[in-house]
Amino acid sequence: MPRSSDTIAALATPAGTSALALVRVSGPDTAGMAQDIFGAPPPPRHALHGDYRAKDGRLVDDVVATFFPAGNSFTGEDSLEISCHGNPFIAQTILEDLFARGGRPAGPGEFTQRAFLNGRMDLSQAEAVMDLIHARSERALAAANQQLRGGLGRRLNDLTERLLGALARIEAYIDFPDEDLPKEDRAIVRRTLESLASETDRLLATSHYGELLRDGIKTVIIGAPNAGKSSLLNRLVGHERAIVSAEPGTTRDFIEERIIVGPHCLRLIDTAGLNPAPGGIEKLGMEKSLERAAEADIILLVLDTTAPLPTLPESLTKLLTPNRVLVALNKTDLLKAQAFDIKVYSSLKSVNVSAVTRAGIESLVTEIIRMADAFQPTSQDDVVAINARHADALTRAKVSLQTALANLAASGPVELLASDLRGTLAAYGDILGKVDNERMLDQLFATFCIGK
Amino acid sequence: MGASTLLLSGNIDTIAQMSCNPAIGGQAKGQMVRELDALGGEMAINTDVTGIQFRLLNESKGPAVQAPRAQCDKKAYQFRLKHTLELQPNLQIFQATVTGLLFKAGKVVGCQTNLDIDFLGQTIVVTTGTFLRGLMHIGQNKNEGGRLGDFSAKSLSSSLTEAGIQLERLKTGTPPRLLGRSIDFSKMEEQKGDTHPTFFAFHDTRGPEEMFHVEQSGERRIGWAPGSEQVSCWMTHTTAQTAEIVRANLSKSAMYSGEIVGVGPRYCPSIEDKFVRFADKPRHLLFLEPEGRSTNEYYVNGLSTSLPFDVQLDLVHSIPGLEKAQLLRPAYAVEYDFAHPTQLFPSLESKKVENLFFAGQINGTSGYEEAAVQGLVAGVNAVNKVRATAPMLIQRNEGYIGVLIDDLVSKGTREPYRMFTSRAEYRLLFNHGSAEFRFLDHAKTYNLLSNNRIKNIEAKQAKVTHWVDYLEKTRNTGGTWADAIRRDRVGAVLPEELAKESAPVRDEVVYRVSYQGYLAREQRQVEKLSQIEKIRIPADFDYPAVRGLRRESALKLAEFKPMTLGQASRISGVNPADISILMVLIGAGAVRARDAS
Ligand SMILES: Nc1nc2c(ncn2[C@@H]2O[C@H](COP(=O)(O)OP(=O)(O)OP(=O)(O)O)[C@@H](O)[C@H]2O)c(=O)[nH]1
Ligand SMILES: [Mg+2]
Repeated sequence: MPRSSDTIAALATPAGTSALALVRVSGPDTAGMAQDIFGAPPPPRHALHGDYRAKDGRLVDDVVATFFPAGNSFTGEDSLEISCHGNPFIAQTILEDLFARGGRPAGPGEFTQRAFLNGRMDLSQAEAVMDLIHARSERALAAANQQLRGGLGRRLNDLTERLLGALARIEAYIDFPDEDLPKEDRAIVRRTLESLASETDRLLATSHYGELLRDGIKTVIIGAPNAGKSSLLNRLVGHERAIVSAEPGTTRDFIEERIIVGPHCLRLIDTAGLNPAPGGIEKLGMEKSLERAAEADIILLVLDTTAPLPTLPESLTKLLTPNRVLVALNKTDLLKAQAFDIKVYSSLKSVNVSAVTRAGIESLVTEIIRMADAFQPTSQDDVVAINARHADALTRAKVSLQTALANLAASGPVELLASDLRGTLAAYGDILGKVDNERMLDQLFATFCIGK
Repeated sequence: MGASTLLLSGNIDTIAQMSCNPAIGGQAKGQMVRELDALGGEMAINTDVTGIQFRLLNESKGPAVQAPRAQCDKKAYQFRLKHTLELQPNLQIFQATVTGLLFKAGKVVGCQTNLDIDFLGQTIVVTTGTFLRGLMHIGQNKNEGGRLGDFSAKSLSSSLTEAGIQLERLKTGTPPRLLGRSIDFSKMEEQKGDTHPTFFAFHDTRGPEEMFHVEQSGERRIGWAPGSEQVSCWMTHTTAQTAEIVRANLSKSAMYSGEIVGVGPRYCPSIEDKFVRFADKPRHLLFLEPEGRSTNEYYVNGLSTSLPFDVQLDLVHSIPGLEKAQLLRPAYAVEYDFAHPTQLFPSLESKKVENLFFAGQINGTSGYEEAAVQGLVAGVNAVNKVRATAPMLIQRNEGYIGVLIDDLVSKGTREPYRMFTSRAEYRLLFNHGSAEFRFLDHAKTYNLLSNNRIKNIEAKQAKVTHWVDYLEKTRNTGGTWADAIRRDRVGAVLPEELAKESAPVRDEVVYRVSYQGYLAREQRQVEKLSQIEKIRIPADFDYPAVRGLRRESALKLAEFKPMTLGQASRISGVNPADISILMVLIGAGAVRARDAS
């Protein structure tokens, strides 16, 4: 069997089960990559604690990395295991960095496949692997199809079709130089490529799941003035981030803080209290709070159990659906608390807490994690991989579009322009499935009258 | 290769006759002819010696997309090639029409002819062109034949069908031929050949004895040096009146009246198609191509049609310069049988009938060059089969020949297949100057070139490698020589010693250096993919028995019988997970075999 020529990387742990994530790398470039990342050649089979620095020098996480030379590894080739914090944002960043360094996303079961091909497994093990590959790919495929049926697929199809149109315009003049074609108009091509580049960019930036991974799950704390919202934020963050006072209306501006709970990254936002009869400036603050609540992935509704149940604006109550709202019944340390009756919100999950004594905070965190889990696909492994792949592919598409545009601006060789556009096409194809060259020819023959 | 071979042709005077326009090469085709030359094919040298006009296409673009094209003297081309065949040792030529094949236990063992003489052979290559149940249309008029004035091979089709080979119809067309002295060239624009003709054959690696073997074998029939005294082509165009005539008579066209069932090519539309599909284009360009030095016949490139003869006359007369033109032969459309090429292995041997090979238009291709490369591959592999040696399999990443064969056997075709450079993923690696290097291994393995030429190619390659390396490593003012070349492009200065090398060496070196980044990228892609290209799937592989393989994939794979995993991956409907599974299983087979031995 031929040895692998490229280096693959993927998340190896089904995340969500532990606080750590394992990223695995295998292939001929592994040693070189490890040296670049950690600044020193990795000692074989020896856990190395160090800072993971991305290609641009940015610190990603402190990690534990172990290098296994070819003879001693699972796959039978140089490999590296990187243990990082179990937050998908970190794992994702590490994967993307590995791809930027020349690695590529591993295919379904590819590590095991390499292990087998390098003689590290026997036949019965290999057969078990096949079942695994099958099951995994079906799941990955199902997840991918779901995404592709949605917005991403539709938009990518549209981008691909337009790219094929631009490519056909270039190819026509390469392949049919002695035909009676209209004068070549590169401005049309340039305009198409510019719009493709900006849309690819937007796609990279706005994909919701990508946003969740990068920025965290948007969790908005909302409630009546003085309910203890800021106190709760401080408890969750772990230090006195927000000002707390007995005066209602303390918080005016939004306070935002990122926290990691279990495997998830949350973007925690504290808001101004909701006053049923606000006037002037308060009214403005409340409207903004409601806007935030509407955009939230998770709403943390804080109720003061010592005060009468507040009348909440209708625009808020209609946002209160069980799958995204968690009620924190606060100030349970005070005696008056028992009198509180929350029947109105009986369909919502609630937790008794005290932001002062910290009682119930742990249960609250557990509930938050459970709710955040719903935003992660059931099989973390597959879907994170697919998403890392999407991001990887879109980034490659963007880079080759930019090169093509630079080439156009410099009136560079047209066959190189075509080569870059083919690179873009292949990158889109990595998400949608390979694009048959016939589709380009269809556009070419539909646009131009070819054939003397 | 030295195998004992018989060539049967219905009319040996028409061996290598150009049924369509008398031109060789052009974009992608020109590169293929050079590849053919690198594998010992005759087309390049024959074109150089009989060409009457040479042009390098895309001269303003980069070397990878430049292609030579030549007008040939139709008769000289054909007679020289016939003579070449006559002088070929171990080749016997005989005139007879093959009427059927002889089979024994699922294998082909010989063929029958119209003369009631049977011939036996261990392997057979079928190259029927447009002659298999060929039917020509001129309006409502129909004639049987593969080319005007020629016969039609009728009974061979049923023999193939009986053997389980699926046939279908394709269509192609050809324009009228005109008498030169009835044409008013003063109303047309002249198109001259290049002052410095670009030849097809690699003359720098050939000794003089390999260049002119036919010409020197007896009295010299060709009285000019290749490339000298070139003949011009002429450009004119259709008019509003032409469009009107076509539209008014559309229902009389064989194509539009439903007479023709075969599918025609999109890239070579009839004049009817052009006016219907591109109704807003006011006029279409036409080229008058001379058919030879010793004839006054002209080919009207761009005016192929299946309209009736009287309409054709009006049509021709509506064109500037052709007002009084006389037709020597009418335009016609021809329909013929082809066999779906997905029924072939990449060796071009039939999957259905052992020892039977197919090449050319019977595989759904169009064009002399496409046919020629298949002829070479099928011929070489027919010999390999007899000798039980491994077939010559040309990969997609080696050149246009590989792309052509892989497209045909993995994807099939619905229209007559023509090569375009845009069909190749690694176009930049396929510049015409590098063909000899790319195919050197095959040429050596299968003994396709003289020892002398192999030696010359190796020496040339060593020079190129040396100079590329030198330019990349040696510093000149402000960086390496290579940096300067990439910066200054065309105007770049070369080291004195390199400037003294032959033009082919110099050009190749400069190309590799100037396009270094892009070439390296394509090379990386090739290497990434070539791994699965090398993994062979055993011929008797039992797909339905594979656990975990999706049913539809298993059926597809069982039908296509891919030879390598790479080929399997290009079959539509087979996904990467299927390939992973196959990879493990095939690997397991290899491991078992290794352990057993
Ligand atoms: N005893 C007790 N007091 C609490 C608890 N949580 C908050 N408080 C007190 O309640 C008061 C208001 O707390 P904040 O956290 O400022 O309330 P808030 O909801 O942010 O108020 P605004 O920003 O004004 O809308 C402070 O005096 C806190 O000390 C709790 O669980 N128990
Ligand atoms: Mg507050």
